Amino acid sequence: MRKYAGKITLIAAAVALSLYFLWPTYRDWSLHGRLRGLAGQDSTAFVEANEEAIRAARAKRLKLGLDLQGGMRVVLEVNVLKLLDDLAKNKDETYAQITAAVREEAVRSEESSVTLLRREFEKRGIRMSRYYRSLRDTNDDITAFLEDESTKAIDRAMEIVRNRVDQYGVSEPSIQKLGGSRIIVELPGVSREAEVRSLLQGTALLEFKLLKDPEIAFRVMENIDKALAAATGADTARADTAASDTTRLDTPEGEMSREEFARKHPFFTLALLDQRSPGEAFVAEENRDEVRRILNREEIRRLIPADLQFLWSAKPVRFQDGTNYFVLYPVKASPELTGGVITTARATTDPGTNQYVVTMAMDDQGSRDWSRITGANINKRIAIVLDNAVFSAPVVRSKISGGNSQIEGMESIDEARLLEIVLKAGALPAPVEIAEQRSVGPSLGEDSIRNGILAGLAALAITALFMVVYYSRAGTIAIAALVFCVLFLIAVLAAFQGTLTLPGIAGIILTLAVAVDANVLIYERIREEIESGKTLRASIDAGYAKAWSAILDSNITTFITGVILYQFGTGPVQGFALTLMIGIAASMFSAIFITRVVFDVISEKSGAQISFG
Amino acid sequence: MRFFRKTNIDFMGKRRWWYIISATVIGIGLISLFTKGLDFGIDFLGGTELVVRFERDVEVGAIRSTMERTGFGRAEIKSFGAPNEVLIRTTEQAEGGTIGERMRAGLAADFPDNPFTVLREDKIGPKIGAELRRDAVYAIVASLVAILLYIAFRFKFIYGVGAVVALFHDVVLTLGLVSLFNGIVPGFNLEIDQNMIAALLTLVGLSVNDTVVIFDRIRENLKVHRSMGFVELINRSINDTLSRTIITSGSVFLVTLILLIFGGEVNRGFAFALTVGISTGTYSTIAIASAVVVEWYERNKGKVKVTA
Repeated sequence: MRKYAGKITLIAAAVALSLYFLWPTYRDWSLHGRLRGLAGQDSTAFVEANEEAIRAARAKRLKLGLDLQGGMRVVLEVNVLKLLDDLAKNKDETYAQITAAVREEAVRSEESSVTLLRREFEKRGIRMSRYYRSLRDTNDDITAFLEDESTKAIDRAMEIVRNRVDQYGVSEPSIQKLGGSRIIVELPGVSREAEVRSLLQGTALLEFKLLKDPEIAFRVMENIDKALAAATGADTARADTAASDTTRLDTPEGEMSREEFARKHPFFTLALLDQRSPGEAFVAEENRDEVRRILNREEIRRLIPADLQFLWSAKPVRFQDGTNYFVLYPVKASPELTGGVITTARATTDPGTNQYVVTMAMDDQGSRDWSRITGANINKRIAIVLDNAVFSAPVVRSKISGGNSQIEGMESIDEARLLEIVLKAGALPAPVEIAEQRSVGPSLGEDSIRNGILAGLAALAITALFMVVYYSRAGTIAIAALVFCVLFLIAVLAAFQGTLTLPGIAGIILTLAVAVDANVLIYERIREEIESGKTLRASIDAGYAKAWSAILDSNITTFITGVILYQFGTGPVQGFALTLMIGIAASMFSAIFITRVVFDVISEKSGAQISFG
Repeated sequence: MRFFRKTNIDFMGKRRWWYIISATVIGIGLISLFTKGLDFGIDFLGGTELVVRFERDVEVGAIRSTMERTGFGRAEIKSFGAPNEVLIRTTEQAEGGTIGERMRAGLAADFPDNPFTVLREDKIGPKIGAELRRDAVYAIVASLVAILLYIAFRFKFIYGVGAVVALFHDVVLTLGLVSLFNGIVPGFNLEIDQNMIAALLTLVGLSVNDTVVIFDRIRENLKVHRSMGFVELINRSINDTLSRTIITSGSVFLVTLILLIFGGEVNRGFAFALTVGISTGTYSTIAIASAVVVEWYERNKGKVKVTA
């Protein structure tokens, strides 16, 4: 036994590690189970009490694919041809012919639209500068410019989509860039299709909105706070006695305990006032949805004047305590200017101060309006708002005539670049189209999970029964190894934040077959060796040694197909390939290594017999 | 317990028979492929597919007239597993992807007292469809080439050829049977979608798995029985591993059969292809892969040394 201490420790460590990685998944499942048993008030209380645990478990649990939990997957494609068309000027009949030819070619070709466009121009002997940029530019300059614009367009589309999905409030959305011109958006649990489509496709709206006077904004928030306190006060009054309530109200503010403050000022507990400008409030990330709900309530909306609007900052601010806070800006409801007037925007560093800045220019009409607006609002703040999210709220330092403005105060070049993207989104839309859209209703997902688990258990039961009947005690050991194999497989998937899909469950079931195969190969070999007259010990040794090359070669070939499947497949199919590959690796460990250690330990201990059936 | 004591079946001597059997089954499959064809899903064609579950059973005919009224007269409509579930598919494309919306509105108007829920709705643009089609072909070809190279590297080149011929045999045969069995029972839909491609690649992986086990035994026996005739040696190797081949394939077969029965409608095509594939994979391992190797050495008798 001592001889195998190292190997046994290794197996124990692998099992412990697997359980560690699967713990959040179990927690998440059990918390949800308990939550489902509760109703109304109880469930809210439960969520509040266990908020930390729920969030922690959620973050690290095994993720389910959209096919299992329901939701939408949308592939957006930037229409580069449309973009090229937007960038062209002096368009005429020849230009129309060229683009028509390119459009036809683009469907079949794998080359970029810009390359195709250039070739078409060269074929006709026309310089690209006739329609793009200035006459001095060569075709090379223009191609580089157009390529650059199309990569920027995808970044812009990405930012617009991310911003909107964020405003829409989906839990655990995933937004990824795929190749040069595609964006994959995955929205779990979302099924309102038309809504999502308009969310992802519509043109971005950029607006400049004046911030409201802090005092007015503060008074509105105070009213909201009072209204909420009155509403909750009415609730608690039923439980508490009225007398104790009045005595509490007499306590001076400074001595109030946290609970008391929360009861008296429910709104200001969630929305912390900015000390420097009391019109703005900071709301911790986890409270954002609640504040959003409060502001949407009918009786609260009545307290907000028609010309005032509360808008959220697009990105949170990180405080020193590590919490992320979103800023709630009070702005004038009607915009001063919309983004169509912006002609260019560029993130750069100011040569004088070496600070990151963004410069922007406007067209004639825009410049005139901008000059009037800035002149009338010196030292006030103007929010730059894209699709109702505030990206920046700079102070107007002076009247800006001529349309060239500079926005300062960016902390990093990334922040400056983001603002450039936002400003351009108003000027030059990034035309996106839905190239692929898949939605799975939640009921189909539940059916699939149930069917998958049922099939998995049935497969395990039948395999186990067969192995035990056919190989008797050795079969039992193989089945134990099989259970470990599945444990490792799911744990590895959870540890690497993999996603379990329906084909993925099929992959797990197939892994059962592959893992059993290794044991069958070994056991058949051991039987042969026993028949040839060797001792049990020697037969086991020979069986494992001789079966090894067959197991290795056959598993590698299966693994190769897994790799190829992962390369070429998408979404659910990749999930299958992933579980198959992990499963092969896990089965090698459990079916060869673990069973071997068990046999070694048993045969050494008592010289006991192990029956191979 | 054991099913097989030492067997001594002359597999290679009967290889003419295997060729005839394979040719017949593949022939039937090919006839079905060319006449009935394959049922491509919108993954590869592009278009819109809608799967809905009504509260009560519906007639496919009633759905068809709704679709005709809504302007999708050419839509394909079939029952999806249960009598209250229907799959509607069209390869038409529309700007902005509003086809699904129009279909749902039509159904809601025509079946006011039988409400439905959308189980699944997919929309694939023409470009993505073409790409998925191309990727599927690439994936299958790439896996065959990769396997050819790996086996050629681990054994001899001709073994790689034997394995790939057997795999090609499996894929064609499975596709033929998929075509033949598609829709023979209403609701039994075997369409070619991404899951089906995954199934084909998996059967490629499992079938080659079997083949490699036999080749491995040939390699070993060549070292031990230096004087044995090649045909006899291959027969011996197949017989040696027969027990394992049947047991493993048997258990995989059971597992895929379970998947086919209990796995639900979504996994149906996948499980069917695997169930067929496992059977033909086992057969081709014994009958085709080794036969190709034997055939080659018989033709080149005396010219090349037998190795593995």
